[in-house]
Amino acid sequence: MNPRTERVGSWLSATGPESDVVISTRVRFARNLADVPFPIRMKPEDQELVLDTVRWALKETGFLNRGRFYEEVMLDEPDGHYFVERHLASPDFISSKGKKGLYVSDDETLSLMVNEEDHLRFQGLASGLDFSLAFALAGEMDEKLGSQVDYAFSPQFGFLTSCPTNVGTGMRASVFLHLPGLVLTREIEKVLRGAYSVGLLVRGIYGEGSETRGNLFQISNQKTLGQSEAEIIEVITNICRQIIDYEHKAREYLMHNLRVEVEDKVFRSLGILRGARIISSAEATNLLATVRLGVSLGIINELKLSEVTSLLVLIRPANLEAILGEKLEPAERDERRATFIRQKLVR
Amino acid sequence: MKRLCDICGKNEAILTVRHLDKEGKATEIGICAQCAKERGFSGVEDLQKGAAELLAELKARIEDKDKKVVCPKCGMSFAEFKRVGRLGCASCYLTFGKEIEPLIRRLHGSVQHVGKSPQEGVKRAQERLKIQRLRKELEVAIKEEDYERAAALRDLLREAGDEPKN
Repeated sequence: MNPRTERVGSWLSATGPESDVVISTRVRFARNLADVPFPIRMKPEDQELVLDTVRWALKETGFLNRGRFYEEVMLDEPDGHYFVERHLASPDFISSKGKKGLYVSDDETLSLMVNEEDHLRFQGLASGLDFSLAFALAGEMDEKLGSQVDYAFSPQFGFLTSCPTNVGTGMRASVFLHLPGLVLTREIEKVLRGAYSVGLLVRGIYGEGSETRGNLFQISNQKTLGQSEAEIIEVITNICRQIIDYEHKAREYLMHNLRVEVEDKVFRSLGILRGARIISSAEATNLLATVRLGVSLGIINELKLSEVTSLLVLIRPANLEAILGEKLEPAERDERRATFIRQKLVR
Repeated sequence: MKRLCDICGKNEAILTVRHLDKEGKATEIGICAQCAKERGFSGVEDLQKGAAELLAELKARIEDKDKKVVCPKCGMSFAEFKRVGRLGCASCYLTFGKEIEPLIRRLHGSVQHVGKSPQEGVKRAQERLKIQRLRKELEVAIKEEDYERAAALRDLLREAGDEPKN
């Protein structure tokens, strides 16, 4: 059981630019050490070597003073889901066997997986649409670790990664968007197709194959080679600005033409959350997302955008268990979740 | 010299299968115990039964332009990469350069990296090493009371961007 609290990463604070639509921005780098086989071909001693090297480099560069390096314990299922729910680790990483490590900075805006699909995968997370911050966080780690270790690199193919889909910059820039306006006005398909047509990927918030819940979407670059980091970020930022604009227009339309219907939906959602005695994480996510829309539209004034946004993470199974400090059966968890949410939303 | 398995390219081949084509040209394939087992050839009977399959595999390999392309560093074959979609090590990019270029072009619309390179990191690492070395030399010079040398080293350190200590 993770000895954790209700404190969430500052990237969930809903204080960044465009926070009414954009939950967070992420920049991830994939790197491998030269002269060590990639994870698919690693022997236990190779895994150990990479872990030792990274542990040493984190200490040497001062990152260990600003965060914690988790190894072995707590990284496997089910405990590791705590980190997955907080977007600090991938589901594949948690379910994989073998020696692995996870560095998480104290404010949870920087994390590093060791021995995932690549030797190193680290990310910077920022609140709202803020690529400069997310890039600065991940870029600092890239440069500092890169000054201590030798990355696998080729002048032609760039940073060499286990899968050719990541080769080149090794950079994935992504944005988590909350687009209820476009979903309600049924414009979402068009927008997502548009993003796809310019080479961006659209997925659910928990990555590949995950469903889209609560009108939450993740948009990221597909190409990692042939464009510089700045160019990749520029393309995705421009598209995001257009989508944000579109979402604002959709919300305006809704408030103008269907105000009562929207208010009804928002207050019913809040009503269920405040009254429910049993609630699943899927239902809670959907309702919280609607309440979030209500808060950002000024329909609900007594709640803060940051409270509702962080609840999206805190109500998830592993986080709820960590907060409550005990392992629970699913049925019991749904009951405790309802109680937890009621306490949080009482005014 | 030991013969390596023609399938995985890693283990020692424990059996060889010889194939004569119509013209009487012989081709041989070496197979290790593990690959033989993975392909279901365990006993002698199985082996005989499976010889046809092995020969078919062999023929396919001969016909395949990718034949023999096995990464010397990690033993990954191009066929295996195509199956699992992951490369085994950095050298695979070199070994399969020609073969994966079309794939990379399809994925990214380019086969030339632009953007960050690790050179800066390496350069910084080298600078750091230089400074560490100079500092050590300076310590020695001071200990030996060679102040002329110490002053010169201090200048070099300053030049290398080291923060002077009081």
